[in-house]
Amino acid sequence: MLDKKLKWIFNTFSGSVFNTVISTFCIVLLFFVINNLLGFISNSEWAVVTENRRLLLIGRMPQEEEWRAWSILWISSFLIFSSLKSFISPSKKELTFIFLIVMILCLIFTTESSIFKVIITLMISSFSYLLTKYISDTPIIHKFNKFLIFLWIFLVPLVFCLLLIADGPKPTLWGGFLLNIILASVAIGIGFPLGLLFALGRASSLPAIKIVCTVYIETIRGAPLVAWLLLAWFVLPKFLPEFWGLNDISVVVRAMIILSAFTSAYTAEVIRGGLQSIPKGQIEAADSLNLNVFTKTSIIILPQAIRVVIPALISTFIGVFKDTSLVFILALTDLLQVGRIIPEQDPEFFGKALEALSVVAFMFWIVSIALSNLSSRVEKSMGIGTR
Amino acid sequence: MKNKSKKQIGNEIISTDNITKSFGKFQALKGITSKIYEQEVVVVFGPSGSGKSTYIRTLNRLEPHDSGKIIVDGVEITDDVKNLQHVRSNVGMVFQQFNLFPHLSVLRNITLAPQKVKGLKRSDADEVAMNLLKRVGIPEQASKFPSQLSGGQQQRLAIARALAMQPKIMLFDEPTSALDPEMIKEVLEVMTELAESGMTMICVTHEMGFAREVADRFLFFDEGLIVEEGTPDHFFNNPQEDRTKLFLSQIL
Ligand SMILES: Nc1ncnc2c1ncn2[C@@H]1O[C@H](COP(=O)(O)OP(=O)(O)OP(=O)(O)O)[C@@H](O)[C@H]1O
Ligand SMILES: [Mg+2]
Repeated sequence: MLDKKLKWIFNTFSGSVFNTVISTFCIVLLFFVINNLLGFISNSEWAVVTENRRLLLIGRMPQEEEWRAWSILWISSFLIFSSLKSFISPSKKELTFIFLIVMILCLIFTTESSIFKVIITLMISSFSYLLTKYISDTPIIHKFNKFLIFLWIFLVPLVFCLLLIADGPKPTLWGGFLLNIILASVAIGIGFPLGLLFALGRASSLPAIKIVCTVYIETIRGAPLVAWLLLAWFVLPKFLPEFWGLNDISVVVRAMIILSAFTSAYTAEVIRGGLQSIPKGQIEAADSLNLNVFTKTSIIILPQAIRVVIPALISTFIGVFKDTSLVFILALTDLLQVGRIIPEQDPEFFGKALEALSVVAFMFWIVSIALSNLSSRVEKSMGIGTR
Repeated sequence: MKNKSKKQIGNEIISTDNITKSFGKFQALKGITSKIYEQEVVVVFGPSGSGKSTYIRTLNRLEPHDSGKIIVDGVEITDDVKNLQHVRSNVGMVFQQFNLFPHLSVLRNITLAPQKVKGLKRSDADEVAMNLLKRVGIPEQASKFPSQLSGGQQQRLAIARALAMQPKIMLFDEPTSALDPEMIKEVLEVMTELAESGMTMICVTHEMGFAREVADRFLFFDEGLIVEEGTPDHFFNNPQEDRTKLFLSQIL
């Protein structure tokens, strides 16, 4: 073991002079960065974060509604950690990394009043992981996996239920990290299947369908998201019919519509790239076997097309997740907006922008890194059977 | 040669009447008239670009023809979807590049169409598939993926996949041209067995040894036309056309 490490160090510094210089430079740089980072962490006052914990995580939802957020967190913890074991089975290294991140999150966000609930969250997480590990060799695991997938599919509706039942707070009060997660999930959950349809439509041989899909995709992609959000703010209400109060729909719903439309257009183009990569022979083989259009598309073409574009697809999703912070244009207070406003408006925390924003950045980073790791995992697990 | 004398040639099952096909300005088929009979093995050969692939691909409408008339198993090939389905479910095809489904297991490659098109139950389809894999000699590969098979095994799988739909006619478009020489034999053996079992077959191939032994009739294509047709003996002993003679002297 030690031998290996020595060898690694030796390899890093040996070789050409150039190699040695670069390696040394990088290590010195790394040292300075880490040193400054640790200095920043220990010298800063983190009260701006701990005191505004609720704002950052769930926005302006009143305290008595907090239970909704906690139950969402607990269900998600169960889902995430069960699925982690069942579908991903992380290595020791990866587990350590996840553990570290969870610990950092706890350190940042735990307060005296919430310590009990945080402990419950941690217990649910580790218990779910261990339970899944325990049953992973028994036949129940197949049913359990199906249950997990089912729960993932219905997670967003479930979250909506939890937020709305028993006279929940107005959607405009949803905010913080929760809002980013909800918007991104809805945008991807609706945008991805829609994007599939638009991609197929654009590749279709029927001119009418092809034109409609092409125009849709190019129109949505033709303007920046900000422009579409402004449109949703000023113009959308005028176009929507008055009955059912449609012209007065909540800005949160408007944000969801715009983000879903946006995601669908980008996803469609990514998937179209995948469709083009399918060799003609695949379609000829399917035709010669007399497969109907539906089977041909859903079993032969799409699975292969999507597999090719998984990295690009996940990049799109990461982009969408980060773009959800643009909903401040609709006067919603997402995580980034909270991090920006507090140091500006709360006299107690004037000038603490760096602390607040670095925590915001950290939260975005966690989700992005999780998604991109997921992407490489999916790619690897699909590697078998590729040509 | 042994079985050939015993073989019964049956009724007409495919007839093409003066079919043409153009790609842009280039006319690939310039009026092909042919008849294929049940249980017959017909070998199609000729120079590159002479329209051999185009011809057999019109027979299951992978390539729609421009004019002329094609009748397969009593049904004319037109735009009509019902007719097309009837034809495609009776005509199996094997491609030069195998065209297996790389993301599906060997077994699933075979069972997909019987399950989805014929509505077979999974267990029945699996059984059919295993029997076919035994027939083409690769039953032990069932749970692998196509890319894990050798070229010869892949082509045999492709034959099994086509056979799973129980076609009356099998089309082969240069099934051994993409294979290394040592794998050609194993594929030809499967095809020989298939021919002996009485399958109606149209093969585009330049494997003249195989063709001579198995074929009942040769069609020689050049520049979008059938230039000469006849028994193997006719072609090997006394070909009539100069173009045929020239081509045979090049490939033999
Ligand atoms: N999809 C297409 N578009 C344009 N031209 C085509 C197309 N398919 C075939 N052709 C042309 O039609 C002619 C006949 O092609 P075909 O594939 O039938 O020849 P072939 O006899 O099978 O030749 P080979 O031995 O090379 O396979 C060729 O000149 C080819 O370039
Ligand atoms: Mg050809």
